[in-house]
Amino acid sequence: MIDIRSLQKRFANGTEVLRGIDLAIGDGEIVALIGRSGSGKTTLLRCINFLEEYDQGEIRLDGTALWYRDEPGGRRVRMREREIRMLRQQMGIVFQQFNLFPHMTALENVCLGPLEAKARPPAEVRDLAQALLSRVGLGHRTSSYPYQLSGGEQQRVAIARALAMRPKVLLLDEITSALDPELVGEVLEVIRGLVAERMMMVIVTHELSFAREVAHRVAYLSQGRIVELGAPIEIFDRPRDPTLKDFLRRIR
Amino acid sequence: MLTLLLKGALATLILAIVGIGGGTVLGVGLAGLSFGRAWPLRFLYRLYVFVTRGTPVLVLALLVFYGLPAMNFALGPYVAGCIVLVIYGSAFFAEVFRGGVLAIPAAQMESGRSLGLPPGAFFRKIIAPIAFRYALPPYVNVCVMMVKASSVLSIISVWELTLAAREIIERTLQVFTVLGTAALLYFLICFAVDRLGRRAERHLMRRGFVGERA
Repeated sequence: MIDIRSLQKRFANGTEVLRGIDLAIGDGEIVALIGRSGSGKTTLLRCINFLEEYDQGEIRLDGTALWYRDEPGGRRVRMREREIRMLRQQMGIVFQQFNLFPHMTALENVCLGPLEAKARPPAEVRDLAQALLSRVGLGHRTSSYPYQLSGGEQQRVAIARALAMRPKVLLLDEITSALDPELVGEVLEVIRGLVAERMMMVIVTHELSFAREVAHRVAYLSQGRIVELGAPIEIFDRPRDPTLKDFLRRIR
Repeated sequence: MLTLLLKGALATLILAIVGIGGGTVLGVGLAGLSFGRAWPLRFLYRLYVFVTRGTPVLVLALLVFYGLPAMNFALGPYVAGCIVLVIYGSAFFAEVFRGGVLAIPAAQMESGRSLGLPPGAFFRKIIAPIAFRYALPPYVNVCVMMVKASSVLSIISVWELTLAAREIIERTLQVFTVLGTAALLYFLICFAVDRLGRRAERHLMRRGFVGERA
């Protein structure tokens, strides 16, 4: 499980992006983060795997504190790069813009992590990658380069690439926002498949209907705080916070 | 006459290859220095590039050929010539590679970081191939420049195309024919370098960099 306690972050220009986030995500749980742009939801997601540093608070994965360590003097220091790498290997992230490596085929993109970061045997990795690509419906496109794939296909490769690390948690950062409407469905379908496997997921999304369908809990963020947190029914059908009501009204 | 010029052209080609090869290797190392974590490394890099790039090849050649022996470190003209080309080229190559690395989209770096790749693999699999793709056109540019820079070495008695031409002119006094032919030979070498670069670019295009242009 992931345990986030009083997480705070301000950008270099002084803006407070996260003003004390508390959130616990259980094994097999799916939490959706929703909110206006600038509410801090993507920053929160990126803090979880340390693509973003944070100023205060802590994040634990299965009880182990992540990313920072308190020195005897009470000073808070970043972990060593090596430790950070090992921890990142336990998390998968999928980005809004796919971010595949352009010079590698779909198969190579998926193989890279297990091969180079985990030093697994090549034959085993190939089989795994092949299986994962088939699972996201791209078993026939393994030797295609990203530019030869549609946005939806690229995003599915990106999901396979994240899964290839056998992560404990999957972080999804607005993974359908850059897709043409007709391609959104195929990507969401892949995620639905993962729900059945009880994969722990944190999903930042604007697809409220999807959040309602797959998430066990929904967190509504506003101005760097979790303003409302609860089951999808409570958040979407019985919102209490006025800004959340307004947000839902606008988006529908 | 033509055979002599062709021999000169061959010497020029060899000098260029040595200069480009050595300069590339040194340039890669220097570019690495420019991304060093400690500021003295970055300072050293800036200083080297600033000084080397700001010195004319001719001055550099005279410095290495006449300057080093003055410090009891005599070199033949050929070794001196190669050293000059390698040093001169390395500053330009380093800047080209540095530019290539800087051009890598931040998103792809993040992808690599999120996979937890160790530094060696990160460099081999992500930074080097992507940076090389972005650096290729200016890299070819510097290679062409190196071919022509080698002509300056005739001053320190390195026998190559320009020196060959001068020797023939002294004997035959056919200034325009000889220099014209020499110029044509330089052009052909540069043209070949350019074509090689284009081929490499097209090859990389097929290997996944096509969509970049959109």
